Amino acid sequence: MPEVKSIFREVLPKQGQLSMEDVPTMVLCKPKLLPLKSVTLEKLEKMQMEAQEAVKQQELAMKEQSQ
Amino acid sequence: MEVTMDPLFLAWSYFRRRKLQQCSDICTKILQENPYDQDPSLFISEAAWSLKTRALTEMVYIDEVEVDQEGIAEMMLDESSIAQVARPGTSLRLPGTSQGGGPTPAVRPMTQSGRPITGFVRPSTQSGRPGTMEQAIKTPRTASTARPVTSASGRFIRLGTASMLTNPDGPFINLSRLNLAKYSQKPNLSRTLFEYIFHHENDVKNALDLAAQATEHAQFKDWWWKVQLGKCYYRLGLYREAEKQFRSALNHQEVVDTYLYLAKVYQRLDQPITALNLFKQGLDHFPGEVTLLTGIARIHEEMNNISSATEYYKDVLKQDNTHVEAIACIGSNHFYTDQPEIALRFYRRLLQMGVYNCQLYSNLGLCCFYAQQYDMTLSSFERALVLVDNDEEQADVCLLYPNVSYNGIGDLTLAYQCFKLALAFNNDHAEAYNNLAVLELRKGRIEQSKAFLQTAASLAPHMYEPHFNLSILSEKIGDLQSSYTAAQKSEDAFPEHVDTQQLLKQLRQHFAVL
Repeated sequence: MPEVKSIFREVLPKQGQLSMEDVPTMVLCKPKLLPLKSVTLEKLEKMQMEAQEAVKQQELAMKEQSQ
Repeated sequence: MEVTMDPLFLAWSYFRRRKLQQCSDICTKILQENPYDQDPSLFISEAAWSLKTRALTEMVYIDEVEVDQEGIAEMMLDESSIAQVARPGTSLRLPGTSQGGGPTPAVRPMTQSGRPITGFVRPSTQSGRPGTMEQAIKTPRTASTARPVTSASGRFIRLGTASMLTNPDGPFINLSRLNLAKYSQKPNLSRTLFEYIFHHENDVKNALDLAAQATEHAQFKDWWWKVQLGKCYYRLGLYREAEKQFRSALNHQEVVDTYLYLAKVYQRLDQPITALNLFKQGLDHFPGEVTLLTGIARIHEEMNNISSATEYYKDVLKQDNTHVEAIACIGSNHFYTDQPEIALRFYRRLLQMGVYNCQLYSNLGLCCFYAQQYDMTLSSFERALVLVDNDEEQADVCLLYPNVSYNGIGDLTLAYQCFKLALAFNNDHAEAYNNLAVLELRKGRIEQSKAFLQTAASLAPHMYEPHFNLSILSEKIGDLQSSYTAAQKSEDAFPEHVDTQQLLKQLRQHFAVL
């Protein structure tokens, strides 16, 4: 590809004042890695779910009996 | 002709293969046929009884070392603390006292108690220590249940009563009619009975009675009973008594478990340095023991000393290169110190080992995205969505997409939808509220944005982002007073945040001019 000579030249001012304004912007929450669960915790949660289910079933059965 | 197997032998075989329900059923049958031993030289029904207690215990057994749930009462009405404010570096309750070169909250999100989030949750890491009573009652929800009022009303009691409810004939052993003194004389029955009472029935007081009588019967020479006594005292909140029992058990016999229990007591008494010393003593007796090394790493991590925690986790990996907790913690540490590609290697290792859950895939996706391996990102997220268990996890996974859509390709609509979805799944998601507020402001809806920010700030007072955003927003609409208060809260949550300090300085100048 032949080199095209640009008609624009960049200008870098050497004199004068440079002003810059730092505007605070809103921050988003950072990406969060999800922590892995320990075996004990998983077992606890599983047991709790099962227990809740069992109790629910039993209550349903009791309701049906009383009707 | 069919040859039937001896039922007791069959039950024993089921027990070894962990088919516990079948084992317990057979034992029940044996016990129904002959409840008491006819021939005193054969202990058939005694054996069946003991086996059944063991099977029932195994069904609900959880590692006592890992279990740690503090109720509100223990946390707020703390009798064991010596001083109101502990010296820096000596307490687990003052996070941030020893910054061990860890990343700031601008990079690494914080948990409720002001610690950087870790790569691994255990029953005890979930809670943290809230500073005020209000926070204690309001915020921490562990495994989708509220914090119990005391540890005596916690998850174990609920589990215990549930297991009794589901048994139509009532409990297998009626504790109130049990003659504990008789059983404590029989060493071959008392141990299984103790474990049954402690783990299955969760009746710590009766378990303590039995253990006390049994240790007396053993003339205070049996380390096992002393450890059990210590466990009971710990559950009852009598930490100094528990300490004594564990110490005395260690005098009889050096066991790793005892070290772990004793360290747990010291952690509860908020003496991390003593616990560390104890772990080091333990390592002298059991060099390279993984659980002890992990204990040290955990304490360093809880004291916000991430770099030395990582060192110890690396030591753990030298001993056991499939240790999930160590890999996860080192991985997350690399991620938050700007090395997502190395974090990716650790998480990939977990995948190779066979860990297969929603959290792992979402972490993999996130690491892939930040390590610029875009081809894997979205497919990992999709896998994570498939493996989701409950609504909270679903919300967390939904929040991952905006990282790609908003930060990556600038697709605001998708990001907006994801935040809304996350909120639909989990109504208390402070991060989603905060991010949604930022998007709302970009759309020019100031009131909406402000409302979201206020919600986020009240849901998660420990995060600095909502306070800071609220401060900027209020300053823009000219409400300098609320801007100032919000900025102060942001400074409390994250003192080193430069933008907050600049904003505060600006506001103070404003006020001075007025």
